[in-house]
Amino acid sequence: MHRLAAYPLKIVERILLIVVTLVFVFPFLWMMLTAFKTLPEVFRFPPTFLPEIWDFSNFMKAWESGPFLRFVFNSFIVAVGVLILQFLTAVPAAYAFARYRFPGRNLLFGITLIALMIPPQVIFLPIYVQMSGWGLVNTLWSLILPYGASAFGIFLLRQSFMQVPDEVIEAARLDQASEWKIMWKIMVPIAKPVLVTFGLFSFIYHWNDYFWPLIMTNSDAVRTLPMGIAMLKASEGGKIWNVIMAGNVILVFPILIIFFFAQRHIIRAFIYQSK
Amino acid sequence: MWKEIALRRYQSRSQVVPQKSGQLLEKSRPYLYVAPALAFFTLFFFYPIAYMVYLSFYDWSLLDLSAMEWVGLENFHALFTDADFYQVLSNTFVFTVFTVSLGMGIAFFLALWLNHRAKIYGIVQAAIFTPHIISLVSIAMLWLWLMDPQYGLLNAILESFGLPPYSWLADTKSALASLILVSVWKVVGYNTLVFIAGLQSIPKYLYEAAALDRSPAWKTLWKITIPMLSPTLFFLLIINTISSFQVFDTINIMTQGGPVNSTNMLVFYIYEQGMDFYNGGIASAASVVLLLLVALLTLFHFLVLSKKVHYR
Amino acid sequence: MARVLLKQVVKAFQDQPVVKGLDLTIPNGSFTVLVGPSGCGKSTTLRMIAGLEEVTDGEIWIGDRKVNDVPPGKRDLAMVFQNYALYPTMNVFENIAFGLQNRGLPRQECKSLVHEIAEVVGLTSYLDRKPSELSGGQRQRVALARAMVKKPQVFLMDEPLSNLDAKLRNQMRVELTSLHKQLGSTFIYVTHDQVEAMTMGDQIVVMNEGRIQQVASPVELYQDPTNLFVAQFIGSPAMNILSWEEEESCLLGFRPEKGRIAATIQPSTEEKGISLRGKVRSREILGAEVLYYVDTRKGQIIVKANHDVELIAEDEDVRLSVAAKDLYFFDEKTGMRVMGQHVHSLPLAGGAV
Repeated sequence: MHRLAAYPLKIVERILLIVVTLVFVFPFLWMMLTAFKTLPEVFRFPPTFLPEIWDFSNFMKAWESGPFLRFVFNSFIVAVGVLILQFLTAVPAAYAFARYRFPGRNLLFGITLIALMIPPQVIFLPIYVQMSGWGLVNTLWSLILPYGASAFGIFLLRQSFMQVPDEVIEAARLDQASEWKIMWKIMVPIAKPVLVTFGLFSFIYHWNDYFWPLIMTNSDAVRTLPMGIAMLKASEGGKIWNVIMAGNVILVFPILIIFFFAQRHIIRAFIYQSK
Repeated sequence: MWKEIALRRYQSRSQVVPQKSGQLLEKSRPYLYVAPALAFFTLFFFYPIAYMVYLSFYDWSLLDLSAMEWVGLENFHALFTDADFYQVLSNTFVFTVFTVSLGMGIAFFLALWLNHRAKIYGIVQAAIFTPHIISLVSIAMLWLWLMDPQYGLLNAILESFGLPPYSWLADTKSALASLILVSVWKVVGYNTLVFIAGLQSIPKYLYEAAALDRSPAWKTLWKITIPMLSPTLFFLLIINTISSFQVFDTINIMTQGGPVNSTNMLVFYIYEQGMDFYNGGIASAASVVLLLLVALLTLFHFLVLSKKVHYR
Repeated sequence: MARVLLKQVVKAFQDQPVVKGLDLTIPNGSFTVLVGPSGCGKSTTLRMIAGLEEVTDGEIWIGDRKVNDVPPGKRDLAMVFQNYALYPTMNVFENIAFGLQNRGLPRQECKSLVHEIAEVVGLTSYLDRKPSELSGGQRQRVALARAMVKKPQVFLMDEPLSNLDAKLRNQMRVELTSLHKQLGSTFIYVTHDQVEAMTMGDQIVVMNEGRIQQVASPVELYQDPTNLFVAQFIGSPAMNILSWEEEESCLLGFRPEKGRIAATIQPSTEEKGISLRGKVRSREILGAEVLYYVDTRKGQIIVKANHDVELIAEDEDVRLSVAAKDLYFFDEKTGMRVMGQHVHSLPLAGGAV
């Protein structure tokens, strides 16, 4: 009885699925299409769908409007630097929280959880004052150090470490492995999936981040890619949409590529917090 | 053969003298392990919070940090007698209520619809999630272009349906709504996938039991799905509310708080006061207000969570 | 090789004593089995010997060294865990080599030792597999190889066979005992399974509630249990225990396989012992042997009989008899064995069901 009635419904459902997908994906497609249009075509109303002339020069114009190689380099240094620092601080902390009983453990872990909930936007001002006191404003350090420890990373890793059976650690102790070695050579490899998940999360967050570099930097030498892109708007009157969109394609593209190949990992990374 | 090797090893092996000196290291080891992370938290989280509260009692500016003057509660007084600040609070409030309710409402129905294993649903899920991993810079600029009053795609679409062009960001009446639209668009995919994860963790037998009891679909939704999903609902409510409180990037790129303050919200206000107008005192006082709002929400979150654990 | 010595060893978890003053000598080269019901402290004892659990009080000696403060890696022992505890991210070679590398053995020597051991346990073709790609029996072998390659003075095994299926378990039992003979090192083996204990150990330590009940060879344990607990714990089915009217506060016991059952109610008077009337409630045919569950006025009694005697049907009236030499006597209050009791006649003979 389902089949006959369901068939037209199924088609309607498929059409709706396409509509929903377009609502979320078409804007990005529009970004790409605009990036290939000439300026006169951009300012035509009603707009054309496909570019009449495919203009690749917009990307060069965007790239040359500022020291973009520098921006990309800085973005990379910051995202990777943060990641390494977070890894180095999270592994021992998560290991201690997961595997040792010590007075004050719950208190210290509670403190970590609080840090998980308060966003940096709330406390940027005092950190800026602090940084300028240390002479670190407008350096890459001011972009890396405040994110040196990730409460989320500690939380994730701790979960993963807690699932390892005690006996594995005891076997390693009997194998004369030092506590330090057990942590890095036994536990960290076991937690590799979680580390990949967290790494993707952290990298994407810092690659995309606009707020913190905006606060902490005021010269091109230390600015990151999102800032460079945002500045495209301010330059040249802010209406050269084809060049601006070309710049955004440069910013978005690496993330879309990563997303395409590591979709499951990335979705898991972002959804994980809910569990 | 390996027995002989073993024998040789036994003979050559030296006795290990027990060490007592390692005791102190073993006792302090966990503290040493958590120390680096906690040092960062202290330096870039707890100390700044304390420092921020301290700063809120002073009149100061980023132009000259050495000239700080104790003014007591003056900053808070100034803040709460400033009509602009009330406007900012009300904008933040309206923005949050609409972003959260629309973002969660739409996501809930999408989740019920898209919660299938088939590949096509997986593709749609990934598609609607995409905005969440894209930099807000790009999202803001993309929508700025889409909402362009003269050449934007949105007005072109309206026109093609014979509708009048909309003012989008250009009008005090529509600017905030436009920002809400962008935020909802960005967050819906994330919320949907979190809902789907929640739906998938509901044990199947509950639905089978309901089906055997001939429960109608709406009743199953109301009596099984929604109660079982309540932890997810609650989590999203808190997370969405906190992230709506900190909206900044879209404002800075799309509206600069305008027109006439109609889209000025808390973080942007703090940023403007502190970094542009050099009212450090006012900015830190507003930060304290924001901190209290977030802290209250967090506390509420933990309290409800611990209560829920209690019931189980 | 070394003997292991426990002197008044106590372990308490949060003031809750789990092991209550153990004195035990484990001779060099012995296969000592710690056996007892779960929660009797046998695993805790083993873990204290390994150094994985701190000793609350008392001393542990391995060889001529007091090891209370020696970390586990330096006690010169190896352990096989119930769940094998293989390193999941390392392949078989790395699993076995890990302990050697930590001792700073040169790479080449490490390699040749691992290959030799792999040969011994038959893992040569699996060296580059991950534990998740192995069967339960293979994982067990890796765990064993990992312990053996270190050539420890003492092998500790914590229920190493309990995750295997019955057939493999029997096979591994034989392999372990022959391995013990080959190596000649001290084995300390923990199990809750008395059959495993009896078939493998040359010295068996029966434990209950944190105390040693008896230390003896399998035969001695079976023939001469020192108390009621050991008597009932060792042997399957468990020893029948009856109250004995002739003497106050004394219990009488005999093993099911020592009871004789006959489909007659005539008392036999051939030798000294006891005799009881009963009715067969049910029976279990185990192949060569039959278990009869017999209701008597002393309660239900189990008798194990050979198959070659004619089968007795259910609900049939029977006469049970036990020779005097097969009877054990226990103090009802302390549960200790009472020696020198004699059954003068057939005191229970008159008792009808």
